[in-house]
Amino acid sequence: MSKAATGTAGETKSVPTLCYNCVAGPDFMRVVVEDGVATRVEPNHTAADIHPGRGRPCVRAYGLIQKTYNPHRVLQPMKRTNPKKGRDEYPGFVPISWDEALDTIAARMNEIRAKGLLDEAGLPRVAASFGHGGTPRSYMGSFPAFMASWGPIDFSFGSGQGVKCTHSEHLYGEYWHRAFTVSPDTVLTRFIVSFGSNYEVTGGVCAVRRHADARIRGVKRVQIEPHMSATAACSAEWVPIKPKTDAAFMMAMIHVMLHEVPRGSLDLPFLRDRTSSPYLVGPNGYYLRDADSGKPLVWDENSGRAVAHDTPGIRPALEGNFTVPVAVSHLADQEVMRHENAAARPAFVATVEDMKKYSPEWASEICGVPPAVIRRVANEYVENACVGQTIEIEGRTLPFRPVAVLLGKTVNNGWGAFECCWSRTVLATLVGALEVPGGTLGTTVRLNKGHDNRLVSVVPGEDGFMVSSLNPTSTADWKAKPTGRNAHRTLVPIVGNSAWSQALGPAHLPWLFMEKSPEEWPKQRAPELWITFRTNPAVAFWDADKLTRAIARMPFVVAIAYTFDETNHMADILLPDAADLESTQVVPIGGTKFVEQFWEHQGVALRQKAVEPMGEARDFTWISTELARRTGLIEKYNAAINRGAIGSSLKGANYDFSLPTDQVHDADTIWDAVCKASTAALTDGKEVKDLAWMKENGYFVVPFKRADWYLYPSLADQNLRFELPYQERLMRVGEELKRRLHSQNIHWWDEQLSEYQALPEWHDVPGRWVKAVKAQGLNPDDYPLWGITTKTMIYSAGNNSGVPLMHEVGQNIRGHGGIIMNANTAARLGIEQDDWIEVRSIVDTTRGHAVLVQGCQPDTIVIPGQHEHWKTPFAKDLNFPSLNTVTQMSMELTDATGSGADVVRVSVRKVDGPKERRSA
Amino acid sequence: MKQVVQARLQRYWDIRAAGNFSFGGTGSGLVLAAALALALGVASPWAVAVGLGFIGLGLFCVWLEIGKPWRAINVLFHPHTSWMTREALLVPPLMAAGAAAVLIDIRFVYLAALFAAGFMYCQARMLLASRGIPAWCQKEIVPLILATALAEGAGAFLVAGGRPQALIVVALVAGILREIARVLYRKGLVAAKLPAATLKWMASREEKGLTALRGLSLACLALALAGVAPTALAIAGGSLAVLAGWGLKAVIIVRAAFTRGQVISHTPTRGRGPTAIVIPS
Amino acid sequence: MTRYAMVADLRRCVGCQACTASCKEANGTPPGVQWRRVVDIEVGEYPDVKRVFVPTGCQHCADPPCMHVCPSTATRQRADGIVTIDYDLCIGCGYCAVACPYEARYKVDTASFAFGDEPSACEEVRHDPKKIGVATKCTFCVDRIDAGRAKGLVPGVDPDATPVCVNTCISGALAFGDIEDPDSNVSRLVRENKSFRMHEEVGTSPGFYYLWDKETP
Repeated sequence: MSKAATGTAGETKSVPTLCYNCVAGPDFMRVVVEDGVATRVEPNHTAADIHPGRGRPCVRAYGLIQKTYNPHRVLQPMKRTNPKKGRDEYPGFVPISWDEALDTIAARMNEIRAKGLLDEAGLPRVAASFGHGGTPRSYMGSFPAFMASWGPIDFSFGSGQGVKCTHSEHLYGEYWHRAFTVSPDTVLTRFIVSFGSNYEVTGGVCAVRRHADARIRGVKRVQIEPHMSATAACSAEWVPIKPKTDAAFMMAMIHVMLHEVPRGSLDLPFLRDRTSSPYLVGPNGYYLRDADSGKPLVWDENSGRAVAHDTPGIRPALEGNFTVPVAVSHLADQEVMRHENAAARPAFVATVEDMKKYSPEWASEICGVPPAVIRRVANEYVENACVGQTIEIEGRTLPFRPVAVLLGKTVNNGWGAFECCWSRTVLATLVGALEVPGGTLGTTVRLNKGHDNRLVSVVPGEDGFMVSSLNPTSTADWKAKPTGRNAHRTLVPIVGNSAWSQALGPAHLPWLFMEKSPEEWPKQRAPELWITFRTNPAVAFWDADKLTRAIARMPFVVAIAYTFDETNHMADILLPDAADLESTQVVPIGGTKFVEQFWEHQGVALRQKAVEPMGEARDFTWISTELARRTGLIEKYNAAINRGAIGSSLKGANYDFSLPTDQVHDADTIWDAVCKASTAALTDGKEVKDLAWMKENGYFVVPFKRADWYLYPSLADQNLRFELPYQERLMRVGEELKRRLHSQNIHWWDEQLSEYQALPEWHDVPGRWVKAVKAQGLNPDDYPLWGITTKTMIYSAGNNSGVPLMHEVGQNIRGHGGIIMNANTAARLGIEQDDWIEVRSIVDTTRGHAVLVQGCQPDTIVIPGQHEHWKTPFAKDLNFPSLNTVTQMSMELTDATGSGADVVRVSVRKVDGPKERRSA
Repeated sequence: MKQVVQARLQRYWDIRAAGNFSFGGTGSGLVLAAALALALGVASPWAVAVGLGFIGLGLFCVWLEIGKPWRAINVLFHPHTSWMTREALLVPPLMAAGAAAVLIDIRFVYLAALFAAGFMYCQARMLLASRGIPAWCQKEIVPLILATALAEGAGAFLVAGGRPQALIVVALVAGILREIARVLYRKGLVAAKLPAATLKWMASREEKGLTALRGLSLACLALALAGVAPTALAIAGGSLAVLAGWGLKAVIIVRAAFTRGQVISHTPTRGRGPTAIVIPS
Repeated sequence: MTRYAMVADLRRCVGCQACTASCKEANGTPPGVQWRRVVDIEVGEYPDVKRVFVPTGCQHCADPPCMHVCPSTATRQRADGIVTIDYDLCIGCGYCAVACPYEARYKVDTASFAFGDEPSACEEVRHDPKKIGVATKCTFCVDRIDAGRAKGLVPGVDPDATPVCVNTCISGALAFGDIEDPDSNVSRLVRENKSFRMHEEVGTSPGFYYLWDKETP
């Protein structure tokens, strides 16, 4: 292969740029370029003092060099010549010119526009899917502006992200405390209970560094999970637990706190003033409200009567049983019920009574964890909470509650996730450790506005809580007709309707519906054009075989392609985009972001072209501009850029770098304007840095207030309460949703409606997976083990499976490419270290070599996050097993938020070698 | 807490390196046997020639293995501490003395035997100095290598030429010494509490087969000494001693050569978590 | 006197292999050769189990067995303790590799590349035929140390004079410096914490310290 074209002989330079291949980024890095060839990645030490990860990127960044020079890259546009699609169909891709490729796409799009952007069912004719957690956005240049100029696009075809992510946390976390993701205040905390949260692997460099420092400082982290992950390894204690029983453990912790420890150990002032605990609950389970104002009532201990919760000078009671002479309650669909001499109890009492049955002894039967361990963890949690203590942050005295509870991915999605999220947040609430120094914090928002500072989303809403942005369920406003194929506005009120909401809806339903629509549901047609970028649902989603068949039904697929892969195998046009080190984009940095980015700075950084693109690969901004030009949308496209579709708005109070809308601009012109506008926006127009400055310096930051890490002060200042522990509103919304769906004769979502409860009731969560086996007419005893997954940092995101360096270093980590199981269980099954074994579920089988360990629950096998590639060069030859191959995708295993979990019942047997592979 | 140490087989010396220890051992043993035979009144220049041939063959094997064969001469640069250099340095005088014994005067065989003994000793010390491989870095390996080489040399002598009664005695005694050294070596390994894999090979099928071969060799030699089919059994006993010696060295170099693995003495504290003392097993 | 040494804090290391990957890139090592790597060790029995991530590589021993056995004098020890290999002298006999108790040495006899027989553009730049057929191992990034010192920088403090793995380490587990200097970072770490060195019984006096707990005051 010839060397890349740029650079003068003998010249070595170090180019500042960034890596944003996972949600825990972006991370600073530099690329060493010798004679125009990128040879290595190194940290950006100049950023050490502003970046919580000290300017260092994680292991994946070091794979970007090989990723750039991968000889298997698609380096010219291609078109499909075989009209038949399927795994076993040879696509017959042939090279074409950029003009032909873009003209073909534009012609198709112009045809669609002429017909109308929505089809007969009211669904967008154009769909797009992007991979891992929104990170493709940091590599798609100005494409968001093109999409904005186009109009409605269906983002609801999931690709393995979203519903497989920490999904319930995204939805409930943001609802309760503006926590799209949740983090401990690691720099201050003393005690962390983590249910499978794999921070040391997926938390990014900021989390790894912060937790390492915390360990030296003396934090205690108890990791509760079926398999000993790297995070469990780095914890003070590992508690093995049966999969999907975490909620029972947490509910038992709450039981201990409410029924065993002295009441005074809890943060009663916090519960009284900052939560809904004192709100009076009537006999029908709804809040008793002031008959005139409709405000929820509390029992004022000073005056001995029920008053509106925000009455000045009162002291609301947390405990007691009261009689309220006159009150109303707000039922579903604005029905108002009048109460006289109603029996009332504070929501706190309702919670205490509800949790009475969940003792550690009860939980032990379910979780397989001794009651004494649950009790000890609960007591340590309370003891470490430092209730009553305060700390000064930037001159303000705040509660100091150094305890946190974290939830991992499979804990946090699918059935049981609601109960886990509720329990986790209530655990924080009971000791006042929610959104205060040392406690459990949110990071950022995606369903509300305020991506750069979530505090701006703390706005008063109903009933003394923050405003919430639920999808309407009223007769008038409920969307009976889905606006996207996953019906997020129709089925999932709590997901809202922000730019991120659709992708966070039940993103597997469109695939299921392509195969078979449920009764009484609009017949959906496949989108006429589907665009994919940095995503590979054909292997990254559940029931990979079914997914692949569904993808093959897409009539016209445009894939932005890095190499051939399992999804673009079904594409009609392949477009090679300039890769990570070959293209330019401005990316926001700092503030508070997931997964554990808590900065004392915020600003922008430049991902810049360190080397010229290989072959005919083109910068995505150029591709976007060309598409806009060829579809006649250039003015709207430029206007979208000016509005801020790809970064800061180009025009502000003190600056104007707007681009003329009637011209075609090159990528550097666009990003130069974005650099100037972003830096001006950060400094009120005082400092303006252009693209050349950013290329030299890499990033620009201004201070971010440490106090802004915490939501609590914003609530306190506005006298708002966290909507916990009682979920009156969700109960009402659930009832309304039920009425709406039933009015359409839709009953297949009834099981999901059971999740809308004021206080969660334990249901046999793991039993749902056992029932799923029975539902197929099979014997659950034939699938006696749990199959779950875990990640390594190397493969956790970023599509690294085709990069040999990542595979090589991954081999140093146990389980890489194999199937982890308990050594004693293996011995019972006659399986030895490195034997080939087959994992069978009701869906399919997958094979890999056995990795026998002590650190795994005896009834659980673990397939690390990796895919059964059959097309991706290099990866397809590794013969890796994948949990996706054997995991069920079904309505019955979908929870009310629309998510599912990477869990499946399996059997295991010894076999001779890898699976026979079908050719591709 | 117990650590199951993940030792792995070394990947640097393969059967070619084992060839040096096998052929070098037989060759130097043969030169020693020729010297003993001469002392007993039997001049065997052919044995010296064959012995030198074996040594040359062994060195050729190594030459095939090294990464930079055309700068093999650099092997001579470090006599201060390297037993490999010392082994190599003994080759020219050994070859010269041996050649003189064959071509000029058989009595040069005494000088050659001196160098051959040194050569043999260097080989044994080479293994002992390999501190990465517990099975080699075990002091009892030195007598084992020496006795095995002597048994191989005496055995080869019986196979290829004269079979004076005294040489059968020498072969038998060398074989018995080899067995004693083998037992002591095994005891030493067990006492050293090495990673499991290092001891596992001793129970392998190959090793059991080799033990049977050595036993058979001793039986043949004893019977030959007792006058039972002395020629046939001396040849059989001698050839079995040679083959068993080669096998032993092939196993030690290629199969038993496990590394020490990565061993920790304590688990680290993680935050307020406990530490534990680690006991390798 | 100066003796450079590495410190790995086992309390911090998460086994991410960033050091492994960056070392490979910085030193252009071929597939399978890992001068720096992190091993994943499990101890104990279910459910009382610990998993420990242990960075390892050449320990730059005070009494290096590899140097003693080397027949060509290719392996030497500098005054600052760094054990080096002269690729022009080494005959590739592999003796040093079997003499090393730490599995730190490598030898490849034919050039190989990440994607097969042909080097990619980046490998073409990095490929060094001198390293084929000879022993190789971690050099403590001696070139960086020397170049950095020539500019007045302090190894272990200034990134440009510090081994790449230390610069890379995201958890702050790896530290580097002069163990003979009581004020150096590594001396302080070793003084303030409990540590062990691996296979000390072999008598190599390694220059690689593993921290496992705070020193009790």
